[in-house]
Amino acid sequence: MQDTAILALLVLLFPATGAVLHAFFGWRWPRALTMLLGPGVVWLSFICVVILFAGQIVDSRPTDSTYWTWITSGSFTTPFNLLVDNLSVFMCLVITGVGGLIVTYSVGYMEHENNASYARFFCYMDLFVFSMLLLVLAGNFVFLIVGWAMVGLSSYLLIGFWYQRPSAVVAARKAFVMNVIGDIGMILAAFLIWVTYHSVVFRDVFGRTGRSDSGGLEIICFLLLIGAVAKSAQLPLHTWLPDAMEGPTPVSALIHAATMVTAGVYLVGRMHPLFDVATYAHDAVALIGAVTALFAATIAFVQTDIKRVLAYSTMSQIGYMFLAVGLGAYSAGFFHLLSHAFFKALLFMAAGNVIHAMADEQDIRKFGGLWKDMRTTSLCFLVGALSLAGIIPFVGFWSKEVVLGDAFSRGDPFALAMWAIGFVTALGTGFYTGRMFYLAFWVPKSPERPVEHPHEAPPTMLIPIGILALLSTIGGFIQINAGFHNGWKLVDSFLQPAVGALGWEERSLEYIATAATVLLGAFTFFLAYRFYVQRRWDPAVLRSRYPWLQTLLERKYWFDEAYDAAFVRPMDWLGAALNRYVDRPIINGAVLGVGARTEETASDLSLTQSGYFRNYVLVFTVGVVILLAAVMIRGAIG
Amino acid sequence: MDGVLHFPDGSTLDTGAFLLLGMLLFVIGAAGVMIRRNPLVILICIELMLNAVNLTLITFARQLQNLEGQLFALMVMTVAAAEAVVGLAVLVDIFRVREVEDIDDLSELKG
Repeated sequence: MQDTAILALLVLLFPATGAVLHAFFGWRWPRALTMLLGPGVVWLSFICVVILFAGQIVDSRPTDSTYWTWITSGSFTTPFNLLVDNLSVFMCLVITGVGGLIVTYSVGYMEHENNASYARFFCYMDLFVFSMLLLVLAGNFVFLIVGWAMVGLSSYLLIGFWYQRPSAVVAARKAFVMNVIGDIGMILAAFLIWVTYHSVVFRDVFGRTGRSDSGGLEIICFLLLIGAVAKSAQLPLHTWLPDAMEGPTPVSALIHAATMVTAGVYLVGRMHPLFDVATYAHDAVALIGAVTALFAATIAFVQTDIKRVLAYSTMSQIGYMFLAVGLGAYSAGFFHLLSHAFFKALLFMAAGNVIHAMADEQDIRKFGGLWKDMRTTSLCFLVGALSLAGIIPFVGFWSKEVVLGDAFSRGDPFALAMWAIGFVTALGTGFYTGRMFYLAFWVPKSPERPVEHPHEAPPTMLIPIGILALLSTIGGFIQINAGFHNGWKLVDSFLQPAVGALGWEERSLEYIATAATVLLGAFTFFLAYRFYVQRRWDPAVLRSRYPWLQTLLERKYWFDEAYDAAFVRPMDWLGAALNRYVDRPIINGAVLGVGARTEETASDLSLTQSGYFRNYVLVFTVGVVILLAAVMIRGAIG
Repeated sequence: MDGVLHFPDGSTLDTGAFLLLGMLLFVIGAAGVMIRRNPLVILICIELMLNAVNLTLITFARQLQNLEGQLFALMVMTVAAAEAVVGLAVLVDIFRVREVEDIDDLSELKG
């Protein structure tokens, strides 16, 4: 077997082994072993990925290794094959690299858990890393769906990690149900692909797309889009993500910011030969992304829970990625995915430090003054915030700028409309990010702050954050884009063999777009300073002037209420009605009736069992006499 | 096949007499099993029924000049002996363990 094939298998096997060992032995082996093994397996996997990455730099051709045939049923066969190409290696780097940092961070964050719970946490985390790697390395639709469903499962397990809290259990269930809606879309798409192309292997399917009509492909791509939308918390299947913040903070950083929620972007990128043909579905991706970006940013204006602000900003940033891949600017989308993984994981983990220090308080209005008390964490959070706001020279600037620049330079009205939405969103992003930062760290200490003298986090938590802060600061220089024609585009050139080159020329007009983004992003970040620190304008005045707007945003556009009215309550009614009119009288009646009749008959028949020997003999004798008589009579007649 | 048994000295006997005796013995035995309550007497009545059957078997064997009937009677005797041994052993054990006056006291299997 080739080295690549063995390495790809090892990448999967390390976290899988970690998860299995933790599941069976974690509760009884010493805590130190969990501390070592939990992040250790992810780092081992990371080393393998780095070797694969080096291999792909030398030779960028994809390697599709088939290990064995998994299913054979009639004409249907599914091999177990892993596809190592520049895209999957890129994703693996993000998953194991950023993932490794986050799992290492959890060693400190979860230290208050007892031994069994501690091991359970790392078991789930390793399981998640394995599932996510399987998702991106899968070389066929069946294993893609297996990984797709397994990340949903690990997400469910981790959101509901503190299962003693009813709200966590409800949030976990909600996330699972929403994800299953997406899974159904994926599975239907896979069925259609099998029917149309008679193969589930990516290589075969993509080789045959040219020959089919685009009508069937549109349906397939829309079904795939349902999966992507559910997994990436885009409109209209987004309501689970803010609730998913019930999970421990490292989980929010790993699953609900850096990796799993970007699976939708990966899916569109991986399926780009299909989406390039299915133009309506492709445009729908961009539209959903742009609308979600703006929609989520507006909600983030009024949220007061630090993790929820971050959750809505995640939705918004993934909207940017959808916008990019929907317009065909794949490498721009993936660059933003990478940069978002850096700065959002950073923001979540820094927020985790704050929550830890504040005795689990998450309301930003009750913080304040943390800049003085937690200098390192505050500094890291500021780096993440500036990056999220898209302020030069942090990584978020470069990636957001390339997304908007590519949209702008495509030039057609649809792309320009998408650019405009993205541009407005960028303004909003600056503002809500600024608001979050100033309220939590900059403004004077809130009288309601739960802890007077907060402690800075331990090194296991600070080091991963520090590394991510460094990456968020300098990471952007791997791709100097748009307008700067002589810049280097490492992400672009690395991903090109897998997702193709940009279909249009970047234009120098982008200078204007870029300049505007930089200035206005910084301007709104500063505007938040005027509002929340200098109090030049009072947000309360705005609130009282437009109470309906405040309510609209605080209720998150009534999505939860609408879903409740449209699906949950009708289902409750249906269930109650079926219980009352079908289940109890008919099904219950039938089952219990059979039991009751049997019992009655049996108790009647038991009267014949007198227990007296003579009775039995009498019956026996009479029976024999009757039989003999019958035989005799027959003999006489016959 | 004339319903008559022939003996070497030329004398004859009617088969019906033997069969009638067999039937009477069998009915007496069956009635005894059903009516009597003493377990020992019931066992004896069962022996009586078995012997009634033996008599019938031998009568027909003689009449039909067929040895199988006689062999079968021997077999029945063996079984009867075994049955008597087991039955008596069971009874002795029951008497030893509990107070049993008659067979009707053993009616635990009443439904």
